Amino acid sequence: MTDFNYLEIDDVIHSRIRTAIMAVLISVDEAEFTFIREKINATDGNLSVHLKKLEEHKYISVTKKFIERKPVTRYKITKTGRNAFEDYIKKLESIIRSNSKK
Amino acid sequence: MNTLQSETELKVIKKIMEDSRNIIADNGWHYIYWGAAVTIGLISNYVMVLSDININSQGLLWFILMTCTWVTEVIIEKRISRDKTEKTFAGELLGTLWFAAGITMFIFGFIGTITKAYSPLYICPVISTMLGTAYIISGAIQQAKWLQIVSIGWWSGAIYTFLFPSIHTLLIFALMIICFQITPGIILYRKWKRNPLAVF
Repeated sequence: MTDFNYLEIDDVIHSRIRTAIMAVLISVDEAEFTFIREKINATDGNLSVHLKKLEEHKYISVTKKFIERKPVTRYKITKTGRNAFEDYIKKLESIIRSNSKK
Repeated sequence: MNTLQSETELKVIKKIMEDSRNIIADNGWHYIYWGAAVTIGLISNYVMVLSDININSQGLLWFILMTCTWVTEVIIEKRISRDKTEKTFAGELLGTLWFAAGITMFIFGFIGTITKAYSPLYICPVISTMLGTAYIISGAIQQAKWLQIVSIGWWSGAIYTFLFPSIHTLLIFALMIICFQITPGIILYRKWKRNPLAVF
């Protein structure tokens, strides 16, 4: 048994694909949709759904513009997103620490 | 969530972050482009000195050459950044570093000469010292030890040209540009060409 309380885990980030998106965006200043897709090997549809969820929770911000008539979507992590991701990492570390003490 | 899941999760996050962070921020074209422009300028300047062409014409040569190089650089860079799919902090740092180094060299090269603050013979060693600093920082940002080592070449060249100033300083500096600027630029370009999203 662990002291793990599922309510303490941020379920917006706690999904493989969303965690990966956050990890990419925290490492780069800004990234295009195609860059994130390449980095995490996701399909367009799947990635869009998860990006939308992160955007709804204001964890990431989106800018859309046209470059040479082609739509370009860029994503950036927000302050809220950065804090949430750091808390999530701390939570994971505390789970490991508390279990290794036992 | 158990310990194993947490550990796996952390490992995956770490790997993704490292991969994204270490994207080669520099494809080396700046090194090749500026290196070629400066080498042309140095050789032309050397020929002008040997032909006894006055210093104002030499200054004009550099002013035209550097202005044209800078303007075309801005145009090309705009195109490149428009096509980039990501923007990294390392890339921002590198851009700022080289922009600052460029401005400083411009001030030393032009304002210093116009005001006759020092002999034009010492422009090359002063610029070599600055390039040594820029290379060591650039190498640290890109975690490329070999690029940091290049700065030793710049500093050694600076010491030599400070100690033995002559009209041949221009040729020595041209040689240094080829060895310590164009060659690293080609190496960086090749690495980038092989895999633009690779890590060092």
